[in-house]
Amino acid sequence: MVDYLRRPGEKERHGDTMENDNILCVKGIKKSFGGVHALRGVDLTIKRGETHCLAGENGCGKSTIIKVISGFYKPDEGMIEVDGKEYPVMTPGSAIKEGIQVIYQDFSIFPNLTVIENLAFNQVLANKRKLVNKKEFRRIAKEAVKKINFDVDLDALVETLPVADKQLIAISRALLDNAKLIIMDEPTTALTKKEIDRLFEIITNLKENGVTILFVSHKLDEVFEISDSITILRNGENVISCPTKEMTEEKFAYYMTGRHFDAQVKKEVNEESRGNVVLEARNLAALGFEGVSFELHQGEILGITGQLGSGRTELSMALCGLLKPTAGQIFVEGKEVHIRNVSEAQKLGIALVPEDRLTEGLFLPQSIIKNITVSRLDQLANKFGILSDKKVEEESAQWVKEIGVVTKNHEFPVQTLSGGNQQKVVLARGLANHPKVLILNGPTVGVDIGAKYDIHRLLRDLAAEGMAIIVVSDDAAEVVTTCDRALVMQAGQVTGKLSAQDLSADVLTAQATVQEGGIIDE
Amino acid sequence: MNKFFKRMVKQTEFYVFLIIVVLSLVIQVRSGLFFANNNIVDLLRSMIVPSMYAICALLAFVSTGPDVSFPLIAALSSYLALIVTNNLGLEDTSWFITFIIGIFFGCIMGALNGFIIVRYNFPSLIVTLGTSSLFSGILLGAFEAERMNLPKNLAAFGKASLITVKNAKSGLGSTLPMTFLLMIALYIIAYLVLNKTMVGRGVYAVGGDEVSAERAGFNVKGIRFGIFVVNGGIAAIAGLSYAVMSMRYLPTEYAGGEMIVIAAIILGGTRMTGGIGTLKGCLLGTLLLTMVSNSLILLGISVYWQKVFIGAIIIIGTAVSAVQSHAGRKAKTRLKKETA
Amino acid sequence: MRKMNSNIKRLLIILVVFVVIACATRPSEFIKIGNFQTMAKQLSEYGLMAIGVGICMISGGIDLSTVYIANLCGILAGLMMQSGGSIPLAILVALIVGIICGSFNGFLVSYLRIPAMLATLGTYQLFMGIAIIASKGSTVSGIPAEYTSFATTALFGYIPLSFVVFLLLVVVVTFIMSKTKFGTRVYLVGTNEKAARFAGIHGNAVLIRTYMLSGIMSAVAGLLSLARINSAKADFGSSYTMQCILIAVLGGVNPNGGFGTIPGIAIAVVILQMMSSYLNMFPGISNYYRDLIWGAALIGVLIMNFVLDRRRTQRLSKIS
Repeated sequence: MVDYLRRPGEKERHGDTMENDNILCVKGIKKSFGGVHALRGVDLTIKRGETHCLAGENGCGKSTIIKVISGFYKPDEGMIEVDGKEYPVMTPGSAIKEGIQVIYQDFSIFPNLTVIENLAFNQVLANKRKLVNKKEFRRIAKEAVKKINFDVDLDALVETLPVADKQLIAISRALLDNAKLIIMDEPTTALTKKEIDRLFEIITNLKENGVTILFVSHKLDEVFEISDSITILRNGENVISCPTKEMTEEKFAYYMTGRHFDAQVKKEVNEESRGNVVLEARNLAALGFEGVSFELHQGEILGITGQLGSGRTELSMALCGLLKPTAGQIFVEGKEVHIRNVSEAQKLGIALVPEDRLTEGLFLPQSIIKNITVSRLDQLANKFGILSDKKVEEESAQWVKEIGVVTKNHEFPVQTLSGGNQQKVVLARGLANHPKVLILNGPTVGVDIGAKYDIHRLLRDLAAEGMAIIVVSDDAAEVVTTCDRALVMQAGQVTGKLSAQDLSADVLTAQATVQEGGIIDE
Repeated sequence: MNKFFKRMVKQTEFYVFLIIVVLSLVIQVRSGLFFANNNIVDLLRSMIVPSMYAICALLAFVSTGPDVSFPLIAALSSYLALIVTNNLGLEDTSWFITFIIGIFFGCIMGALNGFIIVRYNFPSLIVTLGTSSLFSGILLGAFEAERMNLPKNLAAFGKASLITVKNAKSGLGSTLPMTFLLMIALYIIAYLVLNKTMVGRGVYAVGGDEVSAERAGFNVKGIRFGIFVVNGGIAAIAGLSYAVMSMRYLPTEYAGGEMIVIAAIILGGTRMTGGIGTLKGCLLGTLLLTMVSNSLILLGISVYWQKVFIGAIIIIGTAVSAVQSHAGRKAKTRLKKETA
Repeated sequence: MRKMNSNIKRLLIILVVFVVIACATRPSEFIKIGNFQTMAKQLSEYGLMAIGVGICMISGGIDLSTVYIANLCGILAGLMMQSGGSIPLAILVALIVGIICGSFNGFLVSYLRIPAMLATLGTYQLFMGIAIIASKGSTVSGIPAEYTSFATTALFGYIPLSFVVFLLLVVVVTFIMSKTKFGTRVYLVGTNEKAARFAGIHGNAVLIRTYMLSGIMSAVAGLLSLARINSAKADFGSSYTMQCILIAVLGGVNPNGGFGTIPGIAIAVVILQMMSSYLNMFPGISNYYRDLIWGAALIGVLIMNFVLDRRRTQRLSKIS
């Protein structure tokens, strides 16, 4: 019998209609760490059985609110209510008892132990078991993987498995405890497109089984594909909460950043006004990609985009000496070159700003001076190799000023800087040698809005002065706003080329946020 | 069965075992004396104390990092055990009592290690270097320990032998002391704890990923602290065993034993980065190095060349392991590309 | 910069305080030229090795083979001199052997990626083994007086030549580490090897040179020892290894790499040698107390550095 009282699309409700259909309700959460206000009064309401997306730029407070919900942080103020029950104090133990499970970005797994042990330990420990019972472990493990139809060798050591499998282990484990609410923190960062699809299938399955999911992400296409409602945070405060169908891509970008994107600020590049070809790749191949050809002109910004595993990072590494090409050629200003290491690339005028500044770009406990001048040591030393302290300090001070690194003293360790300023230091180092080609990999990952804007503007200025720039990024919005052209990569090959006109249209995996014409800078 | 075999071949322990087999066959062929009963007994006898030390080294490496203080904990706790035994007139009680006293002191010293390492998160190598020096100073400086005779109970324990063999051909004899049983007992207990209890699995979990271990519910700090305390106890047992087997106590003989033990467990497959290492690997590694020290002479290789051999084995062994882990990483990247 | 200077300041204060105490409590014995000369001669040897180990630690590794490189070089030089060979040639051979041993260490650590602790554990056995073979297991002695007189000669009649050598090398190595691009690169490689590669630093070359430098220091130490003791043995000074590591850490070298100064290590050596000699002046207190004090001092210094560092980083994060 058709229930005419039900609106189309609404699931039939079972049981008591007076039942609270919010599984989680937090209100007015405030949390600060030594003077830094991470959360300034955040509300979050999640309906039972929905997939709710929590979005926001880095530093908006997403991680903090998750830790509050799961009991790891105690809020300074605010109310937490789970399944109708109010919790004046939430502990990790009570969170787990209430069925709240968090899957962190690092998955919380033991690479040196077997899949079985990884799956079973949480439960075994929670049950306060002291002895190892291999049969019980196996039973628990089998039960876990069955829930998502995960086919894996239970006796394998987790470190031998691919990243996506590790994540599925984390998810299976979370489901063991009859999790009611699974919180996934940026689950797709380390996954390939195929793996993301599989993950989304599993999420859909979970939904059908009544599991509520809180999905933290800042990636536009994922948010729209998988979620039922969205909450956006900025600077520790709520910006908006609404059902996904009421949200548009432009509104999303606006709410996330508080800024519109100015297409007109971008330089109009037409083919004739471009400079000479300064870098060319012909059929270049290395571990991770093949058959890549492109020409890079002076004064243009080329974007290279694609998901993780597309080969975009490997391409950037091959162009600056970190990865040895297995086939193809590289030409710098018309001459063929074989770049064996970063130092040779630097001598040819190619500089790299690496993807992960914390592990690849910076020497965290060392001074800002050392970090900026590290690639210039040959030039700052005399023929005996002796460095002039004065020259080193002068050069560092000059760059700090030019790039706009906010710091009281450039002798301080670089780890005392904010993410955005740290990225600027890495950028300064790349520019210190006045490269002809600047390659940036993920230039604004984990960077606050202000610094992001500064960096983008800086790149456009540099291009205007004649530098050739390659921006490798999986953030399509970034590619759209900074680049003149773009290459799209997938599974190690270039699958698409986008011209300037293309970039102003909404082509790139539905993430483009540029609206024609009107973009107001606040 | 096939899966089991495949996994076994991937393990380092398997290759060490092969090398041991090959080496022993070579020695046997050249000298005919390797598998002689007195040689085997000698080998086993020489293995006793290093094997006990190896457990200490293993526990530390798997969960935290290098521990170099166990020889001096052994020396100091043995000394204190002997002094207390003599002063309290316990020479007529069982040897077991003296050992318990030694274990007690060993655990206290281990607790010092554990406390500093856990509280401040310092690299364990440096801390145990410091405490090693500290214990040495206390033993030789403050206590002015000197050569001592064993109290009656230990002397009797030392004289008792498990197996006595005599080689008919060469007329050489050898005895396997009772301390061998102690070693076996330690390994059995270690095996049971590490593999059959959650605390034991916790040791590996903590070494694998500390944060995950914490989140899973393991008491990370407690486990780490506990390991160093246990190490102290085991070191004490090793120290007293050594004295018992030498039939006297000599404080200066203990220092310096740590490096070979560490080399042995690394050869046996324990990873420097933590989380991986087995008891059988410890035994195999210790056996291999003991064989090289003891039995090379049967090959006619002069004693002088021993160190060169040991050094070469360590270098080659660690080089192979380092190259292997690199190849593993490259293979994974390739895999990822293919499945993308 | 500031951090290093404060560490050196701290050490100097400790040194001064100690000298004052020593002079006050044992004036007749401590304030004797002979005393200072003995101290200076002894500390030169392990002081150089401590600097070698310190440099390796700054680069993110460690050198457990330093004592055995010293012994090996001493033995080889001794053998050459013993049989009437040319002394300068013997010295040259010793230095070259030091370079070869050090470079081998560097090669294992950089190209083969063997963790430094394990690599130098292996090489220490290897070098000791080679030394045993060369010396046939016995002590090499009978060194011509022209060479051993080096140990008894003093500059201006007061300063032992070996100490002069030590000071000279301290100055040279300090200069290399703090004023050259190589030195800066050693610090950076020790801080973050991956980032160093991404920044264009040839990590492998830097590491090989670092361990080579340590090898040279060991060789010189071995030569000095040969002159002073008039003999060389393959297993001499096995306790020095740990001592050198202790001195390096006490001198401010961060065991994790990337930080530490040569002057700091030198001052630490002086402090420890003075303490050692001072204890000698108390017949009731045996030398072994030294180990006690050093062990306690090491841990104390670690804790102190830990607390001070954490406070400093917190303070700076708030300002920035």
